[in-house]
Amino acid sequence: MKLYWQIAKNTWDQAVAYRASFVIYRLRNILWVLTLYFLWIVVLPENTTLFGYNRAQIITYVLGTSLLSSVVLATRSQDIASDINEGNLSNFLLRPMGFFRYHFARDLGDKAMNISFAVVEIAVLFFFLRPPLFLQTNLFILFLTLLAIAVGVVLFFFFGVLLGLIGFWSNETWGPRFIFYQLLTFFAGNLFPLDILPKQVFRFIELLPFPYLLYFPMKVYLGQLAPLAVYKGISIAVVWVFLMYGITRFVWLKGLRVYTAQGR
Amino acid sequence: MPIISVTNLSKHYSVYKKPPGFLGTVQSLVTRKYEVVRAVDAISFNIDEGELVGFIGPNGAGKTTTLKCLSGLLYPTSGKVSVLGFTPFDRKAAFLKQIALIMGQKNQLWWDLPAIETFLLNKEIYDIEQKRFDTIVHDLASLLDANEFLQVPVRKLSLGQRMKMELIASLIHNPKVMFLDEPTIGLDVVMQKNIREFLKEYNRKYKATIILTSHYMGDVEELCKRVIIINFGKILYDGLLSDLVKKHAPYKLISVVLKEYVDPKTLEGIGELRKFSFPEWIVRVKQNKSNETAAKILKHFPVEDITIEDPAIEDVIREVFSQPDKR
Repeated sequence: MKLYWQIAKNTWDQAVAYRASFVIYRLRNILWVLTLYFLWIVVLPENTTLFGYNRAQIITYVLGTSLLSSVVLATRSQDIASDINEGNLSNFLLRPMGFFRYHFARDLGDKAMNISFAVVEIAVLFFFLRPPLFLQTNLFILFLTLLAIAVGVVLFFFFGVLLGLIGFWSNETWGPRFIFYQLLTFFAGNLFPLDILPKQVFRFIELLPFPYLLYFPMKVYLGQLAPLAVYKGISIAVVWVFLMYGITRFVWLKGLRVYTAQGR
Repeated sequence: MPIISVTNLSKHYSVYKKPPGFLGTVQSLVTRKYEVVRAVDAISFNIDEGELVGFIGPNGAGKTTTLKCLSGLLYPTSGKVSVLGFTPFDRKAAFLKQIALIMGQKNQLWWDLPAIETFLLNKEIYDIEQKRFDTIVHDLASLLDANEFLQVPVRKLSLGQRMKMELIASLIHNPKVMFLDEPTIGLDVVMQKNIREFLKEYNRKYKATIILTSHYMGDVEELCKRVIIINFGKILYDGLLSDLVKKHAPYKLISVVLKEYVDPKTLEGIGELRKFSFPEWIVRVKQNKSNETAAKILKHFPVEDITIEDPAIEDVIREVFSQPDKR
């Protein structure tokens, strides 16, 4: 356990080592949040509702998913591909430690870093803009929210790793990752709450793993889901977690056989 | 029972070739020609505990590939490898805790952090007690004269300093089997010597089994009794370094310093002329003829000084390498 704590800590330290680049990355985040914020403020004047959301709820959703993406989508798994192609994976393979656990610990370190920045940013935004926010006070719902977030974190982790493992077969792994992020922006509900889509489309999207990364936990937080819908959502997400784990592990073992430890 | 045993190990890579230029690039998008490179081709050898073996061969001979197979990085195309009773590719924790692969060219250190952070990480990975960790880091750092660099971010270190940190990081878990790939590359002569001494001491103290590849014959001559010479993925020689000289270079060099000028023509018929630029004269003779020839030279020529030497190990190795590719 201490080992993985050390890995998480090193990842954190490494992020600090490149302060400027990290700050710029966060700046991009702030701009994104501001854009969405002003967009929705205009679309939804005070005391109106749209698709069943009032102003406070939609603003909470927008700011919430942005905070949530710092938790769920923060990852270092893009390093896996370059590690493979530059042969740095060898360092890892030579030492007795679990690949998945190692990268999960790294992700957690990166997430911790991102969360602490995101919290400060949102606090500042809150101070200046005084947006109307919806505060959930039901402890049980808050617990379910945390559970949904945790499942989302694990689910996204396997996607991140799987995209990294493409590095075993190809040098060009940024393309697939980029497409994946584009898909995410839409299907995870980063732009708008997914349930404002036509019912059939939404039903379909619900079966995909993506909504369980951002949309679903946020929805649980807002308290807009019936208990049964919450359990159903978590169950679908868990099934996806196991499926993705199986696929990722299979690809990892296949990849090791073709690994050439090049560049060393 | 040998500690390392390799039977008919082969590793083939398939490499694609891109024709040059823009058209070549377009063509390679559509069809790619793959070619199988036999980096290692059915080699076998055994190594016993405590042996320090030199692995030599020109660039691309298959040395590093072999080491990578032995340390479990590569999945062998065919053949059997056993190290400490384990199959390396299984990468069992018990196996990994007893080995180290050290590459002079690349690092395991976290680039942006001081080396000590990597050591601490390795301490956790290998499950080393704090007390032992402190002793080992202290010992290694003093031995390599590197105490002052422990706290400096790795990217700010010079190549030599980094190599020292690399060695410490790789030896923190006190491995029983070490694979060293060009450990002295890029180091100055003093550091090279330190590292050799260090390896010798490490081998003696812990009965560690060491396989070493190097382009510096100095490393091999000083450290290894036994050498394995490999080229084109095949073993050309496996045996004592001293026997290699006898077998592949059964001759000696006689260098003479002449007192006065002699007509080069009169030197003909005495051994094989290697060099003549007055007053220096070097001939090569068969091993068993060296005394006889030296006597003859002393008798017939005005000699200031005469020495009989073994050929330089580099020359012997070069001779072995220059055998044609028999694949």
